[in-house]
Amino acid sequence: MLKFLARSTALVAMIAISSPAHAETLKMWGPEQITEPLVAQLWNGIKADFEKANPGVTVEFMPPTGTISNGAVQAAIQSDAGPDVILTNSGIGRISVVRNAKQVMPLTEQYEKRGWKDEIYPWLYTELKGQFGGEIYEVPDGLDALGIWYHKDIFEKAGWTIPATWTEFEALMKSIHETGLQPIAIGPRTTGSAGHLFGNLLQSASGKEVIGKALRREIAWDDPSVAAGAIRLQKLVEAGYIKKEMAGLDLDGASRLWFNKRAAMFVAGPWFTANARKAGYDLTNAGYAPMPSDIKGAAMPTGGVGWSWLVPVNSRQPELAVKWIDFMLSDAVMKKRAQDPASTMIYPREIPGVEPPTPVLKDIFAAAAGGVGYNPSVYLPGTVLDTYFQVIQGLISGQIGGEDGMKQIQAKMAEAK
Amino acid sequence: MAGHTGGLSARMSERRTARAASSDGSSDGDAGTALWLMAPALALYAVFTLLPIAATFWLSFNSSAGFNTSASFVGFDNYAKAVYDPIVWKSLVHTFLWLAYHVVMAGGLGLLLALAVSRLRITQVFFRTAFFLPHLVSLAVVGVIWANIYDPFFGLLNTALTQVGLGAFTQGWLSDPALVLLSVNVASSWQGFGLYMLLFIAGLQNIDRSLYDAAEVDGADAFQKLIYVTLPGLREVTTFVVSLAMINGLKGFATVYVMTNGGPFYQSELITTYIYRLAFQSQDHGLAAVLCILLSLLAITITIVFNRWRARISQ
Repeated sequence: MLKFLARSTALVAMIAISSPAHAETLKMWGPEQITEPLVAQLWNGIKADFEKANPGVTVEFMPPTGTISNGAVQAAIQSDAGPDVILTNSGIGRISVVRNAKQVMPLTEQYEKRGWKDEIYPWLYTELKGQFGGEIYEVPDGLDALGIWYHKDIFEKAGWTIPATWTEFEALMKSIHETGLQPIAIGPRTTGSAGHLFGNLLQSASGKEVIGKALRREIAWDDPSVAAGAIRLQKLVEAGYIKKEMAGLDLDGASRLWFNKRAAMFVAGPWFTANARKAGYDLTNAGYAPMPSDIKGAAMPTGGVGWSWLVPVNSRQPELAVKWIDFMLSDAVMKKRAQDPASTMIYPREIPGVEPPTPVLKDIFAAAAGGVGYNPSVYLPGTVLDTYFQVIQGLISGQIGGEDGMKQIQAKMAEAK
Repeated sequence: MAGHTGGLSARMSERRTARAASSDGSSDGDAGTALWLMAPALALYAVFTLLPIAATFWLSFNSSAGFNTSASFVGFDNYAKAVYDPIVWKSLVHTFLWLAYHVVMAGGLGLLLALAVSRLRITQVFFRTAFFLPHLVSLAVVGVIWANIYDPFFGLLNTALTQVGLGAFTQGWLSDPALVLLSVNVASSWQGFGLYMLLFIAGLQNIDRSLYDAAEVDGADAFQKLIYVTLPGLREVTTFVVSLAMINGLKGFATVYVMTNGGPFYQSELITTYIYRLAFQSQDHGLAAVLCILLSLLAITITIVFNRWRARISQ
């Protein structure tokens, strides 16, 4: 008995001594929908593959409770008990918040060393290089393409189609309004939702070139050529096509309005497939089209980098974090994700031979193939974003006019570094 | 009795002797021991209270974009920024309104329900429990529940109004600039009134019943008994409830954050929500620190003014 005890103790001691030498835990802040069974299944599979490829490593998911937009990522990093690697909603505006606070590591060196620059679209790499004077702080995981989602059955029954021009689109909204349906739903209490529709309107009214110039500060935001989109929103509210009450809705509230077919249209990106699944909506009934425009070539989705990997400066496993990103960029993982029913985005490089899991995603990919305009929510400096989103709420609740709103955004742009 | 008074005299004499001894130098040892005994508590107080206060003051004079950014001294720049920031003034006005709404709605409802419930004999425990239950729900959850109640298209409130033929009264409860602060405060007050109700019930139980008997003999009706007996009898509890409601009102954050995040267009922005926005979303820790100091000064001023008023009415 004593011998057995001694042997057992020795064995336990050996395991205790030997295990920590190789055991490593990577704390990962995963995608927002990780509590959804379908998403969890995909990510648990990826986790298992990574652990198999890296013996002794354990990946621990931290279910995220927010994003950079609501300060949750910043708070998690500041708490010093946060993740080693983060997947979060991104874009230069949001990244600048955590970058200026020196909360995330520069990853420029890894782009060269690990060949990440060849793992993403060349135009995307050029864009990233231009954001912070050559230094890159993120690795894009998904791109956004925001456009109009509509119910195919309602449109077919009424004989409606998404037209090509803004003038026709206004007429369509009038027709929808007359039936008692809400023409278009928006949940501006959620910053993203506020920006999705507004960005579409700016793009449709001014075109990609003008919005790009405004973002690069070559044109003022209160210049009539840029302010046209804000005035357009003001007019839609005045006409009743967007109800003032919607200023009190968040993304979930507005989505509910659309999923219950009390609203005919909604502006969202490929990620909306996840919301649809959660709501039990039949995705084969979802149609997608870019916001119409009277400007030739301006009817295109808006977007930019929507999701990125970040490594916090206080990551306890920075090497492992980089290894994880490497793994996520690999062909095998990217293909696995793109074909999975839980897929909700456009990937940062072309993946040949991939069949999107839903027809609406196929439509979105096709629309985005012709180019994507700017969604200012992900390009504006962090210090301007709050004003930008509040102005959208002000326009929808009828508290300010389009010109006044754009003046306020311009004033913040002038202050921002 | 004589023995008892004798024992008391002896103890008092011992205390006088002890005081005399301490005045001639032996107090040093006592003070030293006291300090050692207090040291753990003092250390905790210093680390968790004094140090953060000092850090807040330090931050308010610095430009800092984050916790590990090297801060640079900017003097009173952050204070000037606060003075010229229109949202600071807006949120200050909203904070005062919020406080007043909370005192009147949560405190007032607590008093009304206490008066109603205290008259019940058999069902009092049930109603006390039922009315206290919302207090057990976290404010964040209350925010989610009420945001759904207020939903303009699917919410319980507008649906109920429409169902009973009062469709004309349906509102955008969280989108109307004139209503939003009040709407959110209703949710917050709904969570808080149960505690105030219990305090008022305790106060009602302490009112001398003979005063009601005397009032009845004098021919006072129910309203007169309320005005001349009940309310004066609740004076102490009322002042306590008002001070508690003011402190809770100043801490208002969670329901606003969950239900409106300060919007639409800053119409429900409080000092607390603006501090959060600045510190954690915009990472402007300097300005956020200034607003923390402003909020503290506000709390201190309100407490002093209120206590003076309370002392005056108690005399």
